[in-house]
Amino acid sequence: MMDKTLRYAYYPGCASQAITKEANETTRIISERLGIELHDMPKANCCGAGLLTDYDYDLYITLNARIFAEAEEMGMDIMTICSTCLMVMSTANRDLKNDPKLLERTNSTLARAGLHYSGNIEVKQLLWVLAGDYGLDRLEKQVVKPLNWLKVAPFYGCHSLRPSSALGFDDPEKPWSLEATITALGAQAVQYRGKTKCCGFQVDLVAEETAELMTAARLLDGKGRGADCFVTPCPFCHINLDNYQRLAEKKSGANISMPVFHLAQLVGLALDLSPEEMGLSRHLISPENILK
Amino acid sequence: MKIKFRIRRCNPAGKEACEPYAQVFNVEAEEGMTVLEALLKIADEQDPALSFRKSCRSAICGSCAMNINGTSKLACNTQVIPEYKKMGDMLIEPLSNHRPLKDLIVDFTPFWRKIDKVTPYLTPTKKTSEAVVTAEAEAAIDRSQRCIMCGCCNGMCNSLEIDERFIAPAALAKAWRFVGDVREGHSAKRLERLSEEHGMWDCVRCVHCTQHCPKDVMPLKQIEMLRSRAMKAGVLDNPGARHVEAMADSVKKIGRLDEAAMTFKTLGFLRSLGMIPFGLKMERHGKMPLPHIFPQIEKIEEVKKIYEEFERALKKKKG
Repeated sequence: MMDKTLRYAYYPGCASQAITKEANETTRIISERLGIELHDMPKANCCGAGLLTDYDYDLYITLNARIFAEAEEMGMDIMTICSTCLMVMSTANRDLKNDPKLLERTNSTLARAGLHYSGNIEVKQLLWVLAGDYGLDRLEKQVVKPLNWLKVAPFYGCHSLRPSSALGFDDPEKPWSLEATITALGAQAVQYRGKTKCCGFQVDLVAEETAELMTAARLLDGKGRGADCFVTPCPFCHINLDNYQRLAEKKSGANISMPVFHLAQLVGLALDLSPEEMGLSRHLISPENILK
Repeated sequence: MKIKFRIRRCNPAGKEACEPYAQVFNVEAEEGMTVLEALLKIADEQDPALSFRKSCRSAICGSCAMNINGTSKLACNTQVIPEYKKMGDMLIEPLSNHRPLKDLIVDFTPFWRKIDKVTPYLTPTKKTSEAVVTAEAEAAIDRSQRCIMCGCCNGMCNSLEIDERFIAPAALAKAWRFVGDVREGHSAKRLERLSEEHGMWDCVRCVHCTQHCPKDVMPLKQIEMLRSRAMKAGVLDNPGARHVEAMADSVKKIGRLDEAAMTFKTLGFLRSLGMIPFGLKMERHGKMPLPHIFPQIEKIEEVKKIYEEFERALKKKKG
């Protein structure tokens, strides 16, 4: 029996169109290899990353509904590669689906811009697509270079798990999807308490000390359990864990030196993509020493 | 069914700080038994010195919050067998982010000090004291009134874990109870105080408080409402509010987040200059956020139209 082709309206998120563009580029390559169709959303605006929620709830909901309207027009569910986009969009989508009055109010504003959202799309992230729609058995069969020498610390962060009333795919108290993906790629998943906690990104510019100490705490937690590297489904987590790792070292006084992969890059390694294809030289902490 | 309970204990015995140790108890668990009932059974049958707080046994008093398999929960509200089936052997620890005094009893002094800090009572002016509390006005603060002060949210708070001075979700949810009340006369003053360092803008939006609150208070939602009210009240002279303002501007102009412009607006000119050496290091890896490199999204006029509609509605509301 032929498998039905998976098609998604692809929403990389703002971070992965610039500062973490290696995540976006690698996602496109692995999706093509795996036979997952990604369709661009040229009109899509920023989800607000939670900051627009602080600005004004109705504006946040309406701008997110505009993103959903485009996906609905394309006839596809959304796939993002950013956990914060996932959480922000899913929360808006939950509210719109649960509250008919909110949906009506939002549509009357959207109508002024010639748009409409019926409440019929779902928002997913790459991790869920791999561990859910695509299937890890199928992913395992695509592996050409099992990562059997790597001990990987799964870093979910916050927004791929919480709030479960809006997300629902995995269990925040006992998540499994990232570990199972790591195992399917042939690597070993390291267990540590901080895997579902915050990287500190949201307060990088507001409470730097909290952010830097938080980043250090997560990395040291995984390192203490013997991890060779981290993997995260979220570009904001990647920014803190990789880009700002040296600042975290400075603030905490600890030596960390921990390479951090985007989820797509870990899949890419197992599909034997080259470091250039995955933009690994863009990382501030080079993963060179742990590659084979 | 025999279930293994591993309990993290400590006994100060006159000393100021106590060394924690783990002790295992086997409990014969019956269908429907709660963790609190299991602890009472241990105290009855195996070790009467096992210490923990409890009172109502029905998730109203908020006394028995503790860490159950890594998550803040009310012991009286958590059944043993379903929890065991999901998580395996039970690991019972004192509430995180709180100093243990003896076994599962933690020091709540910092918790109450923070609640006090948000002035947990109405301070109306003559004018506001006559405001009518309509059903709609009550609905705005309804959720924040469900709080039973158990501390589960603070126990899970990622920001509090790193910064013990952070005001934390329980007090912030309480703050909205009064800022959001139509009879309150000093909301702007309250919002200014909440905007200080270690205040509401230090929340990292980790969503743990909302996820794990046993009474569905949704503390993060209350924090969002406080912040949103501060933006509208013009309490803008702090990095948190400037960050939000920069985001709203960026999305309005180009439809996307402009990382460099946001850094500049949030930190101001001088602190942004301080970021340059680090920025140059990032640039060697092609990671320096450059301002205005994003093309506008297609149909940006739709986004602008949505903003116009929103600004018009806001003006109408104001009067």
